[in-house]
Amino acid sequence: MALVGNIRDFSLSDFLSLVDRGYKTGALHLTYHDQTARLYFEKGKLLLAARRPEDEKPELLVRLGVLNVDQLAQACRVLAARGNGVTLSQVVIDVGMASPERLQSALMGHTEQSVYGLFAWPEGDFVFEHNQRPAPDAPLALTPISIDHLIMEGVRRIDEWERIRDRIPSTDLVPRFLAPPGEKLKGMRLSPDEWKVFARINGRDTLAEIAQKTGLSDFDVCRAVYGFLTAGMLELVKRQRVLAAGMPPVEQPRLKKSLVNRIINRIRSM
Amino acid sequence: MQTVKMVISGAVNAGKTEFIRTISEIEVVSTERRATDDTRLIKKETTVAMDFGRIAISDDLVLHLFGTPGQKRFDFMWEILAEGMLGLVILVDSTRPETFRETNRIIDFFVSYRDTPYVIAANKQDRPNAWSPDELRLALRQPPHIKVLPCTATDRESVKNVLLELLYVIQERSED
Repeated sequence: MALVGNIRDFSLSDFLSLVDRGYKTGALHLTYHDQTARLYFEKGKLLLAARRPEDEKPELLVRLGVLNVDQLAQACRVLAARGNGVTLSQVVIDVGMASPERLQSALMGHTEQSVYGLFAWPEGDFVFEHNQRPAPDAPLALTPISIDHLIMEGVRRIDEWERIRDRIPSTDLVPRFLAPPGEKLKGMRLSPDEWKVFARINGRDTLAEIAQKTGLSDFDVCRAVYGFLTAGMLELVKRQRVLAAGMPPVEQPRLKKSLVNRIINRIRSM
Repeated sequence: MQTVKMVISGAVNAGKTEFIRTISEIEVVSTERRATDDTRLIKKETTVAMDFGRIAISDDLVLHLFGTPGQKRFDFMWEILAEGMLGLVILVDSTRPETFRETNRIIDFFVSYRDTPYVIAANKQDRPNAWSPDELRLALRQPPHIKVLPCTATDRESVKNVLLELLYVIQERSED
């Protein structure tokens, strides 16, 4: 079943994060007034972003200067002859019309710019169609694009406290890495301010203390941390929990198993 | 007579009243009032105090079900309801992603300081465009050990299943 919503309520960066963590395959359709966009994903990574229907056509490779018109016609003929799950991008490489690096770089740049523009949309309906795939002659990235750094870029464009406050209700919270951040950082481009914050995260200092130590505003620190949170690198914990290391939080009174079993049996019999 | 308590929480119009109504043995005691704020856009009447339902387990044991008020201005009630609860059901309207952020706020409130057993019920699974439990887990950023269950609050078997799954979590933590 399709996932339906509006990026006003469930932001694009949150949705990209969901696609990433859920290894989703499918197409995300976005509509804002008379603008539309379509993003195709394969196992949580981005294959193609089209801000207009022509961006899904083979001619994009000519517009990007990767092929000339004759080369494109030849590539399309080879593709039609081969069929069977081969993509146009693969044909372009196989027949030596462009190097993999050149093709990937051109498509990646185009895709990223297409997505960045979407973060400026204040709202927009979205529909995610599971397992919808692009046409075989669509100009797909050779290597699907990791969306972690797209999420970070999206977060950089957030300028409202309200959205950040939803996930970071207080600067007394302590950011803590969920796991050593090495793998997650690959392919992610951090700004100097984000690096400052990143380097100060030690699982002990609160966001307010990080702001003080880096000389950044609370907003800038929270925005950077919001990005790390959305990219699934961090969690926020309350200071009491950190100070009382080794102690569990307030425990509920322990119940006798026999009492729980009686309730279970009663509910089952209803 | 021993009384134990479960709390049913969730954002406005998540289906808390319906959930309790479906399983309670008594007529649910609800304080419904005409909504006066933006909840009016969602439903004509919404719970401004709380719902109360009851299931007799035996002659000497009763289970009480409390539904929390859905609106933010009644947050102070949550602390009172949370005291001594056996466990918590977080209901989510699976068709309305705009409520997921509020749902996270509620989860954070109830579980951040307490070691509360809880499950998440992905309600309104019978509706078109309902997000599946797996998708809700991702959207709500819940770890794998937290149960996110399909639910239709108007269906008795579905509600029973959610309560039983919560009870199994509680059972694992209980003493012999």
